[in-house]
Amino acid sequence: MGGGSDLVGDLVEALGSDSVRSEPLDRLLFSKDAGVTRGEVVAITFPESATEVAAVIRIAARHGLPVVVRGAGTGLAGGAVPSEPAVLVVTTRMTEIEVDAANRTAWVEPGVINLDLSRHTAPLDLHFAPDPSSQAACTIGGNVANNSGGPHCLAEGTTVNHVLAVEFVDAAGNVLLAGGPAPDPIGLDVRGVLVGSEGTLGVVTRALVKLTPNPPAVRTMLLAFPDVADACATVSAVIAAGVVPAALEMMDRPLIRAVENFIHADLPVDAAAVLLAEVAGHPAGVEAEAELVVAIGERHNAFQIRVARDDEERELLWKARKSAFGAIAQIAPDYYLHDTVVPRTRLVEAMTEIYAIADRHDLVVLNTIHAGDGNLHPKFAFDGSVPGEREKVKAAAEEVVGLSIRLGGVLSGEHGIGLEKRDLMSLVFSAVDLDAQARLRDAFDLDRRFNPGTVLPAGSRCFDFGKQPPEGVWV
Amino acid sequence: MTSLRSTVARLFGPMADVVEGAPDADLVLAPATVEEAARILDFASEHSLRVLPWGGGTHQGLGGPFDPDLVLLTTQMDQIVEWRPDDLTVVLQAGVPVAVLEARLDERSQTAVLPERPGRGTVGGVIAAGVSGWRRHRYGPTRDRVLEVLVATGDGRVVRGGAQVVKNVTGYDIPKLVTGSLGSLGLIVRVCLKLWPRGETAVTVRVDDPARALMSAHRPLAVLETIIGSFAYLAGTAAEVEAQVAALAGPVSEGLLWPEHPEGEVVVSVRVPPASTAEAVGRLPGATAFVASHGVGEVTAAFDSIRDGALGDLRSWSESLGGSMVVLRAPAGFGLDPWGMPPTTLTIQRRIKAGFDPAGVMAPGRLPGGL
Repeated sequence: MGGGSDLVGDLVEALGSDSVRSEPLDRLLFSKDAGVTRGEVVAITFPESATEVAAVIRIAARHGLPVVVRGAGTGLAGGAVPSEPAVLVVTTRMTEIEVDAANRTAWVEPGVINLDLSRHTAPLDLHFAPDPSSQAACTIGGNVANNSGGPHCLAEGTTVNHVLAVEFVDAAGNVLLAGGPAPDPIGLDVRGVLVGSEGTLGVVTRALVKLTPNPPAVRTMLLAFPDVADACATVSAVIAAGVVPAALEMMDRPLIRAVENFIHADLPVDAAAVLLAEVAGHPAGVEAEAELVVAIGERHNAFQIRVARDDEERELLWKARKSAFGAIAQIAPDYYLHDTVVPRTRLVEAMTEIYAIADRHDLVVLNTIHAGDGNLHPKFAFDGSVPGEREKVKAAAEEVVGLSIRLGGVLSGEHGIGLEKRDLMSLVFSAVDLDAQARLRDAFDLDRRFNPGTVLPAGSRCFDFGKQPPEGVWV
Repeated sequence: MTSLRSTVARLFGPMADVVEGAPDADLVLAPATVEEAARILDFASEHSLRVLPWGGGTHQGLGGPFDPDLVLLTTQMDQIVEWRPDDLTVVLQAGVPVAVLEARLDERSQTAVLPERPGRGTVGGVIAAGVSGWRRHRYGPTRDRVLEVLVATGDGRVVRGGAQVVKNVTGYDIPKLVTGSLGSLGLIVRVCLKLWPRGETAVTVRVDDPARALMSAHRPLAVLETIIGSFAYLAGTAAEVEAQVAALAGPVSEGLLWPEHPEGEVVVSVRVPPASTAEAVGRLPGATAFVASHGVGEVTAAFDSIRDGALGDLRSWSESLGGSMVVLRAPAGFGLDPWGMPPTTLTIQRRIKAGFDPAGVMAPGRLPGGL
């Protein structure tokens, strides 16, 4: 290997010229994710194996540059955006899937697209349970990095519950294995720590994922309510009644109207809120649970209940839920999508306050909520070209964070901390808590070779917090 | 040691009574608060006292043995702090016995899915040992349900990780790290757990073929095989359970008739990929008792007068499949390493331990690789 002062030359020598890019346009294209922050990329690499990933890590270290990993770039929190000039490892060429049908598992490379994995295993009647709204584009590597959720994680859990093992390259360039195909691997749960670590502890080069049997029966229902509080109360009552539906999603009136205008699914546009509820499992159980959900909805003033008659109608209802982002474009050119969590019993208070926040800042807010697990996604629509709009949205977003924490919640349910919320971490953790997290990070990457400047605020290790967010960080 | 004992008594109060089964250490303390636990551990680190956290003592056979200078009991931390049935979460102190928690949750038909035959086991102990009940086949392992932990670290810091909500990606997953850490990082003081509704009806069905039972019953709680036969455990709505019973076509008993844990001179846990469970049972070298969890890949087996060579073969086979064979109990001087082949991330694990327990006082030598 070269070892000269030419970073790109060294990378090309190790990976081949097809696998390295450094033209200005490429560097611009890869300088941001689906969120709002931008960083500086020095070179972009497309390794095809763990060995090549290790080579990139070693070369970057030799040139004194950190490594930032990226899948499809659908993240919203800046987890794949360099906070300082960095070498990018893009995993999209690592797309092997190796299914073990007998054990209902698969070794999956990080560049495999979430939905492609479930399509691949469909003939075996198995699927990968985490289903983020971006599942048609986001990668398994990104899911592992963010511990992604999705509507169906209410009953099935998030990505960490579906990853049995990860193969990863550490800061020194060693290829290591955490976890395994058998239950309760011995030693500390390094796997559990790596999942959700946002590319800061190592580069995942393969994951052993659990595949979930497709449910033999599914019932999908749309319940329309005259009041948001009724919809929220229904959520709590369903859970309290001993039913954990496969999914329990809420959309509010502004969003319902935008979506209806967009996809024409005959949605109840008069409703203050709708719940999209899905129960899945044994046919006999599903029938009883669906009846219970309907009865609870009626008791809470649901004025229209639509049970999907067939797969086509079911897909239409889900399309309505998953089209939320596209639909917003009709209202304003930009939107800021938030991600916080409150205990599910505090949803009514959270929603009331979110509307008040939007009113105070004279903003349009549209809500999709993973209501079953209290995961809020208010979207503030705005026009970024109008002076002062961004500042208004930023102020409103800060208030949503404050509200969520006041109600006993957290900064992020599924999008991650990244750069976006790094400087808010001290709102939920003490200096000692953050120091412990920094020690954990040190155990993997003392020199901050991976994704430096993300997740933890500056100075976490020594109780010295940077109070001022750096320029351009969106909080 | 006498002067140390009096110093400790002056600082932290008189020694607690030794509980049944706990080793006879010079110092035995039962802190009542996390601050008190942290002060004790700060002192222990300063004086290089080896510390053994002790809950119910039901999993103390796990891992490398050591002679503790100080036994830390969780008996004074036995409160259920807050149960939120509509949120399906509970916050409780580590010393709450599993049986007490589950009986309480059962009042509203909920469960923390902790081990079904816990004996004297405490919630903190089960989490520290990373042990799961048989219902993990349906609900996943215990570690999936530990939402928040409050820990006094080996050097006396009070660290909280996670949060009291069911979905959270805010920062590193300290709860996962602590679950199964066998007291090697600090003392677990308080936890928040995710709960499940337990299902209105529950039955146990005797089955001939566990593999077929797994296929024909939709997501049973468990399918267990013991020396007396195989059983499927079902729970859910009455209609669902009835339909599943019809599909299984075996003799039915009301309720969940869980087996006893295998008892013997040597007890091991064989952990293999789920599809290899039946083969693991076939390879047991003359077990006196066993419980095999089909669909999970765990076989707990008890032996009397076993040669360690015979178990060595079983371990090699398990490890060749990517699994392990862990010794849960063995007489002193038994010739088999408690864990077997250490994980490839040992260096990282050593550094993690040093970050939480820099003086190395917490359960030294207990984890794989002598950590």
